[in-house]
Amino acid sequence: MTAVTKESGDKADKADNATGAAGAPPPWADRGRAWLRQQYPLLILAALLIFASAMSDAFLSTRNLENVVLQMSVVGIVALAQFIVVLSGGIDISVGSVLGLACVLSAGLFGDTSVALAVLAAMVVGAALGAVNGFLVAFRGLEPFIVTLGMLALARGLVYAYTEGIPVRPSDPSFTTVGTATVAGIPLLGVIWIAAAVAVAFVLRRTVFGRRVRAVGSKQQAAHASGVPVRGTLLMVYTLAGLLVGLGGFLLASRVGAATPTAGNLYELDAIAAVVIGGASLRGGRGRVFGVVVGTTIFGVITNLLVLLNVSTFLQDAFRGGLILVAITLATLGRRQDRVSG
Amino acid sequence: MIENGEPPPVVFSARGVSKSYPGVQALTDLDLDGHAGEVLAICGANGAGKSTFARLLAGQEAPSRGEIRVAGHPRPVTGPADADRAGILLMHQEPLVIDDLTVGENVWLYRLRAGRDIRPWSRARRYDDEETLGALRKVGLGEVPVDRPAGTLAPGQRQMLALSRTKVTPHRVLILDETTASTTEEHFKEVTEMVAAERAAGTAIVFVSHRMPEVFALSDRIAVFRNGRLVGVLRTAETDPEQVTTMMIGDAVRALQRPPAHTAAGRAPALAVQGLHAGSATDISFEVRAGEVVGLYGLVGSGRSSVARSISGQQPLHRGTVQMHGRDVRMRTPSGALRNRVVYLTEDRRKEGFVDDFTNGENLSLVTLSRDTRWGVIRRGLERARVAELIKRFQVNGTPETMTSTLSGGNQQKVCLAKWLAADPDVIVLDEPTKGIDVGARLNIYEIIHDLSRQDKALLVVTSEAEEALLLCHRVLVLRDGRLVGEVDPDTATTEDLIRAALGGEAA
Repeated sequence: MTAVTKESGDKADKADNATGAAGAPPPWADRGRAWLRQQYPLLILAALLIFASAMSDAFLSTRNLENVVLQMSVVGIVALAQFIVVLSGGIDISVGSVLGLACVLSAGLFGDTSVALAVLAAMVVGAALGAVNGFLVAFRGLEPFIVTLGMLALARGLVYAYTEGIPVRPSDPSFTTVGTATVAGIPLLGVIWIAAAVAVAFVLRRTVFGRRVRAVGSKQQAAHASGVPVRGTLLMVYTLAGLLVGLGGFLLASRVGAATPTAGNLYELDAIAAVVIGGASLRGGRGRVFGVVVGTTIFGVITNLLVLLNVSTFLQDAFRGGLILVAITLATLGRRQDRVSG
Repeated sequence: MIENGEPPPVVFSARGVSKSYPGVQALTDLDLDGHAGEVLAICGANGAGKSTFARLLAGQEAPSRGEIRVAGHPRPVTGPADADRAGILLMHQEPLVIDDLTVGENVWLYRLRAGRDIRPWSRARRYDDEETLGALRKVGLGEVPVDRPAGTLAPGQRQMLALSRTKVTPHRVLILDETTASTTEEHFKEVTEMVAAERAAGTAIVFVSHRMPEVFALSDRIAVFRNGRLVGVLRTAETDPEQVTTMMIGDAVRALQRPPAHTAAGRAPALAVQGLHAGSATDISFEVRAGEVVGLYGLVGSGRSSVARSISGQQPLHRGTVQMHGRDVRMRTPSGALRNRVVYLTEDRRKEGFVDDFTNGENLSLVTLSRDTRWGVIRRGLERARVAELIKRFQVNGTPETMTSTLSGGNQQKVCLAKWLAADPDVIVLDEPTKGIDVGARLNIYEIIHDLSRQDKALLVVTSEAEEALLLCHRVLVLRDGRLVGEVDPDTATTEDLIRAALGGEAA
């Protein structure tokens, strides 16, 4: 047992490796296949776009497309926030309510004075509530679902208390500039959304923080044992998510020109669905920002199409819910095959 | 009992069995029989195909070619349902225990799958009756209350709990896939008794292992696998470990040389522990000098892991002081330990060794990533260069892009070790560094450890294998019931001395 040649040991290991990997022949073919498998959301989107333009003439009109982008942008930013949390192995169902609170507070406090302060206020409110979530999850070791469920009720309650059920209308006319301006024909909101996506992608892929988020999400114990500051990372994750949600709150107020007490209602559903449809694992550690953007777009197009086709508002939610189930089932088909062969 | 007279009836037979995965031939054209009342050992290095064979026999996968038949079962075994009906019972390397169920419920776990009864109103079986207690008693768990959550058991006890199911699940073939790898010497007696009982009951036992002492203690015949082929079947009584090892490895053998400890006299020890209390460890004091490999030997529950974990920030230290190079240090977290240049290689590789969704490159960067950055942004060129260097230096099989979770145990262990050594620590604590890895990789790890000692690192090696402790270390400290009970000089002591000291008996 104690005496052995090294060479044969290595050889044996090599055989073992190949058993574990999906396949040995040309690495580029493997990588290509792996890439394609990850791109199924893109395929769904392409099919959906073809279907949409065939079903409705109005779909491809400039005005409608602009409208779609406007509607997607805020949800898109919330989905990015949700994605960061999901990647870290958690979930944040308070995003809709926190967005609502950021929305009414920024419009209510600075809607008549300064747009810059309104933006700042929205982001501070979001980050503060996110930090509370993060503190309870990271330092008190509580389940993210329960913590953010409490925050969902708390924040929405504060929204109603502050507005007394009446929409807040900012009197400063420049308040709505951001939400309605266009840059070279593209709504500024869309540009902000994509810029946020690029920034989040950079942070998650290229920084130490991003690497830590994935490590914590994939296997918290291994990350902790390797000296990764798990608690600090989690606190940061929820705070950052809150910051993005707060920004979304301001943008929504700016687009609508008013902060309604129901602002952001059920956004958590759309955000989680976009993240999952985009291919992220709800168990954490796996997923990509591009997928989240595509997932959001799929959702936005479907919502728009339902309106264009005059589907009753009561049925629209049912449709979207059903489509979430279908899309998630499709998404996991590819993954389960992965697991069996791996 | 099978030496003379008529050969006992064949229980299972594999004919022309091959198994290939995309890009690799795991098993080639295997013919192998198992007889009633006989222990057939399967030996081979990692990747030789022994676990593949166990999986095929247990119906967890279907062979690519050929067939496995079990006497009395009308069709070849190709799936779990077949294996279930044919009476094949597989005991995994990692014990299949559900932590949140009680000990008693875990005994009857396989009852939950039988018949695939999904009626929600079916009543669960009692789990505290005489039959359950008897099954537990037979595997040495008679003392454990049946309503205790299984998650609170020690690793050795978990394995025995899994084995208790052999007492309540009817079966004709029993596969022990590296089952003894996580049971230490103390449970070996119960395993031996269990195998004897199974043999008497006419079960065909397949014992997959690369631990020679156990193979020779338990088996009647030994089938040796190499690179997916059966290279020979030997009668245990007519062979010796040397011959089996040679067949496993293929060619000549090489001995391991331990370099002398070159401790610089007069300098303060690299690590000095005084009156340490942590977990089950009580009042432990010892020193490790630079260039020295010190062993920490003891049975499960002797406090060896508590000592190792508390001096490297992985677990709280209740009382006592730790000094490095004559200075008091406090390490409450793994990152605090790292700042003091102390690192800890975990015993539980799967749970805390590496991140599943990470590539080799990312896992190798887990500890030292912040050194390759500017303003928190990773400098990819630097990271890539460092990872490539580590992979080369530690002979990790695979590229930086390979997922670590797809590697063999030995290579995963090299990744786990390399990620820490990238930080260039002074004190290296290794908890069971060769657990669950094959002979070839084991030698690699030994060489790495000896290299580190030549580089004047202070090494503390926790091990439950007496042989390894003597082979690897310059001094071996023995722990029993949380206390340090002796120090052994590997040049003069035998494995027996060490085991006796750990068990109690006469003082060493």
